[in-house]
This record gives sequence, C-alpha cells and structure tokens, in this order.
Amino acid sequence: MNGFSSGTQSTVIVVFTVLVTLTLLMCVMAGPDRDDLTNFYTGYLSLTPLKNGLAIAGDYISAATVLSTTGIIALAGYDGYVLAVSTALSLVLLMFLLAEPLRNAGRFTMGDVLARNMPGRAVRIAACVVTLSATLPFLVVQLSGAGSLLTFILNIPHVAGARTTCIVIVGSLMIIYAAIGGMRGTALMQMIKIVLLLGTSVVVAALVLRRFDWSPGDVLRAAQHGSGAGPAFLRQGLQLGTSAVDRVDFVSLQITVVLGVACLPHITMRLYSARDVPAVRRSMSWAVGTVTTFCLLVIIMGTGAAALVGSRYITAADPHGRTSVLMLSQVLGGAPTSAGATILYSAVAGMVFITLLSSVAGMTLAAASSLAHDLFAHAVRRGEAEPRTEMTVAAWTSVAVGTVAIGLSTLVENWDVGVLTTLAVCIGASAVAPALTYSLFWRGFTRTGLLAALYGGAACALLLMVFSKAVSGTPSAVFPDADFHLFPMQSTGLVSIPFGYLAGWLGSRLDHRRRAADSREYRRLYEESEARLLAAAE
Amino acid sequence: MTYADDNRYPPSAPTGWPQPQTESHRLPPRRESYGRAPWPESYGHDAASYDSYGQAPWDEPYAYETHRHSADLTALRSAYRVLRRVSTLTALGSFVVYVVLSCWAPGLMGSKIAGELSLGMAVGVLQLVVTFAAVFWYGRSAQRSVDPLARAVRERAVATGRGAGVAR
Repeated sequence: MNGFSSGTQSTVIVVFTVLVTLTLLMCVMAGPDRDDLTNFYTGYLSLTPLKNGLAIAGDYISAATVLSTTGIIALAGYDGYVLAVSTALSLVLLMFLLAEPLRNAGRFTMGDVLARNMPGRAVRIAACVVTLSATLPFLVVQLSGAGSLLTFILNIPHVAGARTTCIVIVGSLMIIYAAIGGMRGTALMQMIKIVLLLGTSVVVAALVLRRFDWSPGDVLRAAQHGSGAGPAFLRQGLQLGTSAVDRVDFVSLQITVVLGVACLPHITMRLYSARDVPAVRRSMSWAVGTVTTFCLLVIIMGTGAAALVGSRYITAADPHGRTSVLMLSQVLGGAPTSAGATILYSAVAGMVFITLLSSVAGMTLAAASSLAHDLFAHAVRRGEAEPRTEMTVAAWTSVAVGTVAIGLSTLVENWDVGVLTTLAVCIGASAVAPALTYSLFWRGFTRTGLLAALYGGAACALLLMVFSKAVSGTPSAVFPDADFHLFPMQSTGLVSIPFGYLAGWLGSRLDHRRRAADSREYRRLYEESEARLLAAAE
Repeated sequence: MTYADDNRYPPSAPTGWPQPQTESHRLPPRRESYGRAPWPESYGHDAASYDSYGQAPWDEPYAYETHRHSADLTALRSAYRVLRRVSTLTALGSFVVYVVLSCWAPGLMGSKIAGELSLGMAVGVLQLVVTFAAVFWYGRSAQRSVDPLARAVRERAVATGRGAGVAR
C-alpha cells in the first residue's frame, strides 16, 4: 500500500528529525533545577490553566487512542463511535468526580494521595506496584507498536532487526525526555503534540468532508460500502459480535474505559501541578474540551478511512486497523508524487510520531516518579531522603523503567499485544479507581481495605485477562493457536471492577471488627484532613 | 449524617509540619506556652498547648469558633456531595442508557432520522457536543455552590490559627 517515492520518505525523515531536535532542545531548556523536588514533579505551578489543560489532554490522548480508535471506527463503525464517546466521557468523569479532591490531597504521585492518612510503607509499596502494573503494559504496547508503525511509515522492508532498531530508538528518546525534562519538559512536549495533533486532524477531517461535498450522509453511505459490512456498519456488534455474551462484553468494555482510562497514574499526576482548585477546574475544562473536539474529529477520520481506503486494504496492512490514519492521508493527498500528498503524509506521520514519543515519555515519567517517590523516598528511606538524592534516583529509575520497557517490547514485537491496552485500562478501573474513590470519599476506609482494593483489583484483572478470550481461543487473540480461555470476554471489567470495590469494602469491614482502634484512628485522620481535602485549607 | 461522637477530638493541624507559630487572636492568656517549644516539633503535639481550655484537650468539646468551623465544613461537604452526585450520575447514567440501548434495541438506535444518519449515531455525537455544555455548567455551579463555602472554611482555618499554610 505504501507506494511512495523516496522523496516522500526523505521528507518524512526530515520532519522526524526536526521534531526530535526541537523537543529535545525544549526538554533541556525546560529541565528542572537540580535540587527542587516540587519543580521536578509538578514543575510548572506557574503554568496557566490553558497550558495545563493542554498538557493533561496531551497525556490523555495516547498513541493507542489515536491509532486504535481510528482503526476500530474504520473497521467496526458504530462500536468505534461508542468507544470515542466513552473515551471523552472518562475525562469528564475525572473532572466531575475526582479532580478537585485529588488536587487537594495529592502532592506528587498517587502514593501521596493514598498514604496521606494511612501511614506505613505497605501503602506506598502497593501504590507503586499498581502504578507500575498499569503503566508498564501501556508502555510496552505503544513501544512495540512503534516498531511496526515506523517500519510502515518509513517503508522499511521487513528485515530482521528493523523493528527492533525502531523500538530501541524510540525507547532511548523516551528515556531522555523523561529523565532530563521531568514534568515540565514533558508538559511542554505534550502541549506541542496536542496542538500538532489537533491541527493535523482538523485538516484531515476537513479534507474527508470536502471529498464528499460536506455531506455527512454521503460519507456514511460510502463508509458502509467501503467497509463491506453494509448497514451493519452503523449498528453495534461488528467489533465483538452480536451474541448475548458479546453484547455484555461490549457494555463491560465501555464501562471499563469510562472508569479506567482517566484514573491511570500518568494522567492524575498532571492534576497535582495545578495551582488551586479553580485552576484545576479550568485546566480540566480545557482538557475536556480539547479531548472532546479530538474525539469528534476521530469519528470523521475513522469514517473517512472506511469510506476512502476500504476495510480490505486496512486489514491487509494491520488487522486492528492501526495504520488507517496514515493510509487515509495517502489517499487524501492525491497522486503519490504530488507535493500535496508529500506534505499531508509527512504531517500525519509527524503527528503520529510525536504522539507516540510524548505518550511513552509521559508514562515512563509516571512510573519512574512512583518508583523514586513512593518506593525509594518513602518506603526505603522512610521519607527522609534528600531532595537531591530523590531526583537523581528519579532520573535513574526513568532509565530503568525505559530499559525494561524496551526489553519487553522487543520480546513481544512479533505478537499482537493490543490486549495490553485493555489490561492497563482494566487495572485502572478495578484497582486505581476503587482505591481513589474510597480514599477520597469514605471516612471508614482503612489500610487493609486499601491494600485489598489495590492488590485484589489488580490481581483479579490480571488473572481474568490471562484466561480471557483476548489471550487465547480466538483467531484475533495473542495466542490464536492455543486455547486455555475460561473467561468468555475480551475485557475483565464486568467482574474485576465489582471485585475491586468489594475487596476494598470487605477489607475495611475486617479492620473495623478486628482492629477497631486502628480504624478509629484512620477515621480521625480522615476527618482532620477533610478541610484540606475539600477546601485546600491547611 | 452527623458525627457527634467524633467531635471529641480537638481540631489539630496536619502533623509533621514544622511549627509555623501562627498567632491566634483568641489565645492571649496562653502566650507563655510559646516559649516552651523552641525547636520545630510536630504540630499534633503542640496543638495541645494551644488549646484554650487547657488540660485534657482530647476530652474537651469544640470551642465556639471550631463549632462554626465544623458547620462550615459540613455545609461544604454536602454542597460538594450534591454537585458530585448530580454531575457524575447524570453523565454516567446517560452513557449507560445509551450503550445498553445500542446493544439491546438495535432497531430503535438504527432507525434513520435524516438520510443515512441513524438515531444511535446522532445520540453519540450529541453526547460529545453536550459535553461542552456540561463542563460549562459544572464550572458555573461549582463556582456558585462550592467556592464560597470553601473560601469560608479556608479563611476560618487561617483565622483560628490552626495552620498558617496556604495551599502550597
């Protein structure tokens, strides 16, 4: 499909180089002072709500969102539309429910929120473990996707080592951004990314509509035709099937996305850097506005890809349709040798590249911060680490997390690991969401309950995922040839989310009964900190 | 919901905070206690010497100021709770209804309303468009119902001298 001249390829490479140079320069210039922790972790209390909101939106729209959502819309139509709605809604829920108390309760990481009235190292360790188990799969899936994506964009033939080289290059860049830039550097990068992403998407969506004389009906008609599914393209069921279990699976997946995506640690981490409550509210308004706009554009782009490229070509390039945006830009550009085609394709490729880089950098930073702040500074050193030491540790943990992620990604680069995205979102919804909601809103929540929610929810999601239909038993699974599936669904939310909440509740009940003095103490600490939680009064 | 039995605890500031020694307007008789702890000590410990009632602070009822403070806090808590519940349940509820209808009433959601545009698609896009209005509405109602109460709680917390810390 990628029948481009070498001129286009060299333009794309020039665009990539310019992007990398610019962002690297920016990271170095915006890097934090060497011994100010607040500066490293939150970095930019001075940023306006608009900029902060753009950074949140940038972190929120990962490469997986851009590429997979477009692909699912292009291939499954209606199911993809619902996914776009739920993606936008997740951030709305974060804003309505958690953003303001989170900002008041937290300092740098999720561990700070959870441990604020539950002293002890176990809480910190659990927070760190769950942060890692939610961010690492996401990281691995995007890095290993980077390999196949870059070989596709640059039209590198499938020789052994080409993908691995791409993964290592992207991974090394990501480590540099996270370790040098800190929150401030990555925030700037996210802002650039979101502006480029929105700009390019607007152009692509406008070109799609112009192709059909600005008539949505014509686009939809052509999409139904191009997808080969006919009217089914505009009905629920193409993605997961239409049997009763498949429909329950679909509902469960959407609810999991709504509850899980926005709770992921690399997104909540951005909230702690807002100056005050009105600022966090305005930041979130900007973020939600940006993300919603983008979701509307994704709907147009995905439908356009189905209409103009056709599902036959899309699935031939990638069974999940992750290259559909790129293929759409090729078709829209016109003749492969024209200047318009070159410019459009380079712009879209650049947008995908910067989205990929910034989202993996943001996730590495979140994982590394949790390791340095929760595990090292509070669990190992019991909160007595020197700020300077902690920052050095944070830089090195970025390197460590990045290296582990690169290693894992090269291991799985030939597998279809899209399921890891689902796993990360499921852990977000079934471990992080219960822990945060209980910890912020329930005064009877205790330490055992917290640990049970975090470990129980994560373990339940992980275990069910391993035995789900997404891992084995179907042609599109990770192991299509094996069949050890026991759980007949693609996502685990239906069981694991209630399990996480139940574990938290039962654990707390256990503490009320067995350790009444402790649980009264937790309640007292909660009530003491309530003025701070609700009103930011210290 | 009232927590009468929990009111026994004196209001103490966050622990582990180096003593900022903010002056309280209502404590002139106990000024001498300032000299007692020249080194930074945990706030929780020092809070006892601030207490206007003197000994056995853990069993004393709230002072008048504190009472007002807890009334403010209760008002703030319930204002937040109402706002949170209304907004979250509306957003989540409408989405759940939409997804369930998409799955189990495909005929209804698939009915064409204008050209190729089906009801389900229109509702989906409409939800995204309504999001802008919802966010605007949330911001405005939070500004009206929550922010004044939060400001009152904050000001009272500073006025009663229990922690001079401005929020970061």
